[in-house]
Amino acid sequence: MTQLDISAPSDGRRAYSRYLAGRIVEYAAVLLIALTLNFALPRALPGGPLKLFGSPEALARLTEDERAQIATQYGFGRPIPEQFLDYLKGVVTLDLGTSLSDGREVADALGGALPWTLLLVGSSIVITATLGVALGVVGALRRRRGKGSGLLAGAIVVDSLPQFWLGMLLIVVFGVQLKVLPTFGVSGIDGVTVGGVLQHLVLPVTTLVVTGMGYLFMYTRSSLLTVLTSEPVQHAHARGVPYGRLIRRHVLRPALLPVHTILMLEIGFLAAGSIVVETVFAYPGLGRLTFDAISARDYPLMQGAFLVLTVMVVLMNALADATYPLLDPRARTGGSR
Amino acid sequence: MMLQRIARRRLLGTQGSVGAAILAVVVAVAIYGVALPDSAGRERVAEPYARPGPGIPLGADDLGRNLLEQLIVGAGTSLSLAFIVAAITTAIAAVVGGAAGLGRRWLSTTVMRGIDVMLILPELILYILAAAFLGQSFGIRVAILSLILWPVPSRVLRAAVLTAWSRGHLEVARAMGAARWWLLARHASYLIGPLLVPIFVRTAMRAIIYDATLSFLGLGDPTTPSWGTTLYWVQVNGVFLSDAWTWWALPPGAAITLTVLALALIGIAVEDRLNPALKEAA
Repeated sequence: MTQLDISAPSDGRRAYSRYLAGRIVEYAAVLLIALTLNFALPRALPGGPLKLFGSPEALARLTEDERAQIATQYGFGRPIPEQFLDYLKGVVTLDLGTSLSDGREVADALGGALPWTLLLVGSSIVITATLGVALGVVGALRRRRGKGSGLLAGAIVVDSLPQFWLGMLLIVVFGVQLKVLPTFGVSGIDGVTVGGVLQHLVLPVTTLVVTGMGYLFMYTRSSLLTVLTSEPVQHAHARGVPYGRLIRRHVLRPALLPVHTILMLEIGFLAAGSIVVETVFAYPGLGRLTFDAISARDYPLMQGAFLVLTVMVVLMNALADATYPLLDPRARTGGSR
Repeated sequence: MMLQRIARRRLLGTQGSVGAAILAVVVAVAIYGVALPDSAGRERVAEPYARPGPGIPLGADDLGRNLLEQLIVGAGTSLSLAFIVAAITTAIAAVVGGAAGLGRRWLSTTVMRGIDVMLILPELILYILAAAFLGQSFGIRVAILSLILWPVPSRVLRAAVLTAWSRGHLEVARAMGAARWWLLARHASYLIGPLLVPIFVRTAMRAIIYDATLSFLGLGDPTTPSWGTTLYWVQVNGVFLSDAWTWWALPPGAAITLTVLALALIGIAVEDRLNPALKEAA
């Protein structure tokens, strides 16, 4: 007689740690890919990796022998895996080389800029997510009325705006014409103050929020519409579940789960947007640093800035991912169906 | 003939028709730009910072180059890059999505895991990083963008293949022993094929915005005028602090917005049309 296979009720905590373990492996893979790209791309530079250590003019003056000597000194002749290990060691010990343009340690320059970018991107993510999802819910529930279709049209337009152009327009309108908001840097005449920084954040954050919101709005709206027409919801409605309870329990919960995934794309979008927006508003963060590094062809600084930006996005994603089981009971208990 | 049919069947609806009309104008401008001499928008024709006047309706930039000609040539740069990237990416997505949907379990799992990993890496940052180090010629930009943009569409197509596969007539055909390629070609292509249109359009949108952003950061191809490059010089010269912004900064930005908007309207119209079929399939 064959034994019936009755699986034991799943242990919630174990399922959660299994979920976490799976995700951690995935994020480790992502980090490794990011590091590999960061390691490999400079070595694929047209003109060779020596560009990492000097301006083009200085390099042009070197003889072949001198070039070969520098290459050996920095270990470019050694086997690639060995170089890669060295590079990883440098990353871990925050030894990212020196900037070509001003001789600063790259790690110091990045460390000074990172808090500003975290402030800008962090507040933008929170506001974008809140506004985008809230408006998406309104847009779905009021879809047949003026408010809903107006919101949709607005979202499509806003989603098409290039960030740098919107930033320029905001400067023209609020900085030059109306003269009500600062458009440059973070500090006023009286230095860096909390109020001053907040004022300086208004336009850059607005630029990021406006351009990032459209996609989140449209996704939330369509996710909600799908759930609204689904059978369980129709059935609950027929059963006489009150409207408010129907929306809260039967529509919002399942509809907002996929939105959580979109939030990840949004984090990458906003972090990349910081490069552009910080350039337009001369904001002293990683993005501005990246732009300056690109303009000066300062490759070590460029490499470092890209690495920190990518790692920042990956970590923010990991953070968002770790909260997913709080929303989705299936990820908590291991019942995947 | 075909246009009449499109009009009669209201293939795109009002929104989509508006989008198609805007896109048609941009395409016409781009074609006109190809016919211009090679020097258009690249050589000095007026005083630096010249205001709009006869011969230069949109004035001249800091090197005395014709801004209207830069705008016209830029249309060609943007659209050709976007359409080539979109075509390559859609093809990659069709193969990858199809393989992940129909292939063996291990293949499907591997591909999906790979896509999940790619999705965490920020596309635009990767694009700027790769272009900064590998070069900014047209071919290199197309290659980098195509390599970066395929994961999202692949995931959409895999889902579509799986949905189509579970439909009744396909199950019947499968039970009768039809080969996979035959099922795909004869019974599923009409369900999956139309999905390639919104995927193509969405990829083109992203390509336009990303490439304009790259040029705006000063990483555009310096030998070819483009909307993003014009705006790079706007930024470098602080043009929006003077009244020159109305003819120097406004037109290229509006051109990017309108082109992307046109594509978005077409994409949404096609998706709306496909929706009933998709709902029925679910």
